[in-house]
Amino acid sequence: MRNPQPESPVLSVGGRLPGADSGAPLTRLFESLRPDLLRFAQWLARDRAIAEDIVQESLLRAWRSREALKDASAARPWLLTIVRREHARLYERKRLELVPLDEVAETHAGPVSVDTEDDLFALRHAIMRLPLEYREPLVLQVLGGFSTEEIAQELSLSASAVLTRLFRARNKLRVICGLSGAPDVSDGGGAA
Amino acid sequence: MNCEHARLLIGAEPRSSAPELAQHLQTCAACAQFREEMLALEANIEHALQQPPQAAVQRGAGSRLRSAPRQPWRPWALAASVLFASVAVLTLWLLRPTDTLAHDVVAHVQAEPESWLGQQVSAQEIGHALNGAGVALDVTSDKITYAQSCWFRGHYVPHLVVQTAQGPATVLILRHEQVKGPRNFHEAGMNGVIVPAQPGSIAVLTHGGNADLVARQMQQDVRALPESQ
Repeated sequence: MRNPQPESPVLSVGGRLPGADSGAPLTRLFESLRPDLLRFAQWLARDRAIAEDIVQESLLRAWRSREALKDASAARPWLLTIVRREHARLYERKRLELVPLDEVAETHAGPVSVDTEDDLFALRHAIMRLPLEYREPLVLQVLGGFSTEEIAQELSLSASAVLTRLFRARNKLRVICGLSGAPDVSDGGGAA
Repeated sequence: MNCEHARLLIGAEPRSSAPELAQHLQTCAACAQFREEMLALEANIEHALQQPPQAAVQRGAGSRLRSAPRQPWRPWALAASVLFASVAVLTLWLLRPTDTLAHDVVAHVQAEPESWLGQQVSAQEIGHALNGAGVALDVTSDKITYAQSCWFRGHYVPHLVVQTAQGPATVLILRHEQVKGPRNFHEAGMNGVIVPAQPGSIAVLTHGGNADLVARQMQQDVRALPESQ
C-alpha cells in the first residue's frame, strides 16, 4: 500500500509552520535536495512510485527531527540516511515484492562495453539486478558519497564486510561489461 | 600488501589513494591494469547512477525490456524504410518481367537458329507442341514452319515459326508469363513484342517484319484448352 495523496511534505508541512519564516530556508533546502533523494530512493527501491513514497515519508520524518540538523552542509547525507532507513523500514514492514529482473538478464545476457547509450542502459540494468546487499552499499558510496566506515556504521556491518560487498558488486558489473572477473575474496565478516 | 588485498581494495574503492596500494601498484603490472579497468568502469557506473533507473525496468512481472531507449524519430525512420523498400520492390516487380522476359525470349531463339530454316511441319507436330502447353491455335498449319515444345523459364511452351509476307516470325506462347500491356523491344538485330494473351502472354520475334501485326493475329488465334486436357 502506498501513501494516499502524496502532497509535497516539505511545502505542506512548511505551510503549517507557526513560524514560517524560520522554516522557509530549511524547506527550500529540503526541496532542492529532493531530486537527489528521489534518485537515491529509486536505485534502492527500483520503483518510482515506491521511491516517491519513501522520499515523502523521509522528508516528513526529517522535518519532525529538524532540530537534529545542526549544520546545513550536512543535510544531504543526513537526508540520504533517512531515506535509506525509510526504505529498509518499508522493506521490512511490507516485504515488498522484488521487481523480477530475470527477464532483463536474458535480454542483456551477452558481454557489453559501455561505449554507447544502449550499453549504458545495459549497465543500469546490471546495477538494478544486483542483490540489495551489494547494490545498497554501492549506491551509498557512489551516489551518497559515504565512506566505507560510514556505510559500515549505517548498515551495521564491519568495514571489511563493506569492502567485500563493494568489491563483489563491482566484480559482478565487470563481468557483465565483458571484462574478466577477479577471483573472489574471502568474506569480510558480517555485522559489526 | 598482496594482490588479493590490493584487488579487494581496488574493487571496493577504485579511487583509493592508500599509500600501501600505491606502493603495490608500482611493482605489480597486473594489479595496475586491474585498477585502470576499474577506474574506467567506475566512471561508467557513476554515469549510469546519475539517472534514475529506466521506467522500463520497473514495469513489473512479465514485462520484457526493449534493448535500447526509444528514440522519437524511429517510427518515422521505420515508416520511411518500409515505404522505400515497398517502392523498390514494386519498381523491380514492374520492370523485371518484361525486360528480363524479352531477353530470355531472344536468348532462346538464338539458341535454336535452325528454327528459322524449317520448311513445313505436320498438324500432328503442331498439335503436340501446343497441347503440351495447354493451348490450341486457330491458324492454318501451312503457315507454320517450325513447332516444338520447348523448356522455357520452368515450363514447356510452344515455340512456333510462322511465315508472313515480311518473312518468318517466331512465336512463343507463354501461358505462365503475365504482362500488363504490349512491350516492344529490339535486341540482337531482331524486333520483338510481348503482348498479353488469354492465357498468359505471347512473344513474337521477327527479322525486320511487323511483329505487332503477328502478335495481334496470334492474340486472336490462341486459345486455352481446359485444364483437364
